[in-house]
Amino acid sequence: MGYSVNPKQDLSVLKLHIQQTVPNPLAIKLEVGDGEIHALVGPSGSGKTSVLRSIAGLHHPEMGHIECANRVWLNRDSARGPRVAQDASLRSCGFLFQQYALFPHLSALENVRIALHNNGGSRAEQMQCAHDWLAQLNIAELANRLPRQISGGQQQRVALARALARSPKILLLDEPFSAIDIPTRQTLYQTLAELRKRLHIPIILVTHDLREAHLLADRITVIDQGVGLQTANANDLFAKPRNARVAQLVGIPNLFQGVFNAGRLQWGSSPWAFQISDKGKIPPQSQVAWVIPQAGLSVHSTSQDGRIPCRVKRISTLGQIAVIEFVIEAITETLTWEASAAEVRRLGLEQDALVYLEFNCDLIHIMPLRPINDPRRFMSAADSAP
Amino acid sequence: MLDTQAIALSLTLAFWTLVLLIPFGIWIAHRLADAGSWKSWAEAALALPLVLPPTVLGYYFIVAFAGKSLFGEPLVFSFTGLLIASFIVNLPFAIQPIQRAFEAIPPEIKEAAKVSGLNTWQRFRLIELPLAWRGILSGAAMTFAHTLGEFGVVLMVGGAIPGETKTASIAIYDKVQAFDTAGAGSLSLILLIISLIAIAVSYGVFGKPQTGSQRA
Repeated sequence: MGYSVNPKQDLSVLKLHIQQTVPNPLAIKLEVGDGEIHALVGPSGSGKTSVLRSIAGLHHPEMGHIECANRVWLNRDSARGPRVAQDASLRSCGFLFQQYALFPHLSALENVRIALHNNGGSRAEQMQCAHDWLAQLNIAELANRLPRQISGGQQQRVALARALARSPKILLLDEPFSAIDIPTRQTLYQTLAELRKRLHIPIILVTHDLREAHLLADRITVIDQGVGLQTANANDLFAKPRNARVAQLVGIPNLFQGVFNAGRLQWGSSPWAFQISDKGKIPPQSQVAWVIPQAGLSVHSTSQDGRIPCRVKRISTLGQIAVIEFVIEAITETLTWEASAAEVRRLGLEQDALVYLEFNCDLIHIMPLRPINDPRRFMSAADSAP
Repeated sequence: MLDTQAIALSLTLAFWTLVLLIPFGIWIAHRLADAGSWKSWAEAALALPLVLPPTVLGYYFIVAFAGKSLFGEPLVFSFTGLLIASFIVNLPFAIQPIQRAFEAIPPEIKEAAKVSGLNTWQRFRLIELPLAWRGILSGAAMTFAHTLGEFGVVLMVGGAIPGETKTASIAIYDKVQAFDTAGAGSLSLILLIISLIAIAVSYGVFGKPQTGSQRA
């Protein structure tokens, strides 16, 4: 029976590049290895779900090439050229929908069994296989219930069993946790983490929740307005966003602008500048965005050369953690800084206090304001920068 | 004296109309539910019998049927002609509820069926048809009730030949004309009861309507 985990030699790798201008612009390139969880993140309408639907064959982009497990699922060289597209029902994708999309008139068991309808074997064997999958996902006791009789989390487990029952070549997850309450979500995360160890297939997770992507994914692709801006593991993404838009989308605090010239970063119109080593990729006198991580900031109560004076604008305390907002009055820039309550007391921080900030130049990361390699940028990152 | 012959004829006509119209209605409704640019025109054409006076329809049927025959049966003033007219007049009553039912199936349910590997026919048979059965039942009930009640078109196309084209509603008219109020009354009561049951079925009196997947 074919429902066991794919044998390792059947290398299941997804290679994709797709492009379209209508209904919404899209230009994405992806490569996902077997056993990898790859997250697509981006604001709503960014096109991440279109990518997923293109892989599943539920949407046909104008042109592109999609290949999975050495089978070509889509090939079209130009928007007018001949299209080779395999029908969605033949692509062997496990697809998990945001709203579960279980068949409302069928029991949990039948919902899973129906995915095996064309997989050969007798009906009894299919039933047994479906039952095994429900058991693996710890919901065997719900086999005879209808979807409306079980909770959202349980429905998503049934949907996951249905998606995996045909031993798909790829698993596609379209915001599968967003409709589920948070405690249930945690256990589903665990289930997914355990499953991926046994499934040697690419897993693509679409989410707008970066924490979720960080928690589950090996690599993340940030998509904005249909364009893949950066693909990296979560740590690299947060430490070294490729451009200001990425930094903004992943929610990096303390994102600023400046002018970079031969190793010297001038902060806006301020008198302050930092010595930065870069790889020489950035042309002289260019406007750049830059970020400084938490670890690169220190706060002092006394003035000293190189320290920047600022005022405490607000202190928000959350348990033992305080988030402090500083305003640098000379250039009206705001910075946030996290510290323990003890440190706040030690520094004597209070509303409107004058303190001095020191920047560790080695930890400053500079980047272009907008994506360099993309001709189709309509919106400048600078316009919407906070 | 109860005119059982007229009742039997009405029921026979309703039965054959259902047998022919429901499979066709399911096919057309399913096509219409997956919208296309021709959808509005097709819908308008199919809804015509709702707004045209029965005499206008009847007139066109007579013109179209005149001198023609099907399997050796003349079409004017015959049961076959009546059946064809009934089929066409009932199109909107059958199709609209079925179409609404197909349209009410969430698109992601159909997509889930696709990615579960089901082909077009399997999706239709295993997923869409069972989810639309209430609309189909409703369409069938409306068609049945409406066929029993049709008067104008039947009178124009069929005349009133006992056992051939004299349906219950025509018989009632004849009886009233002949001052047989008792006969008209009992026939009317029977039609009233059958129609009430049919409409009740189409409003879902028996069993709760099937809703989409619960969103919790």
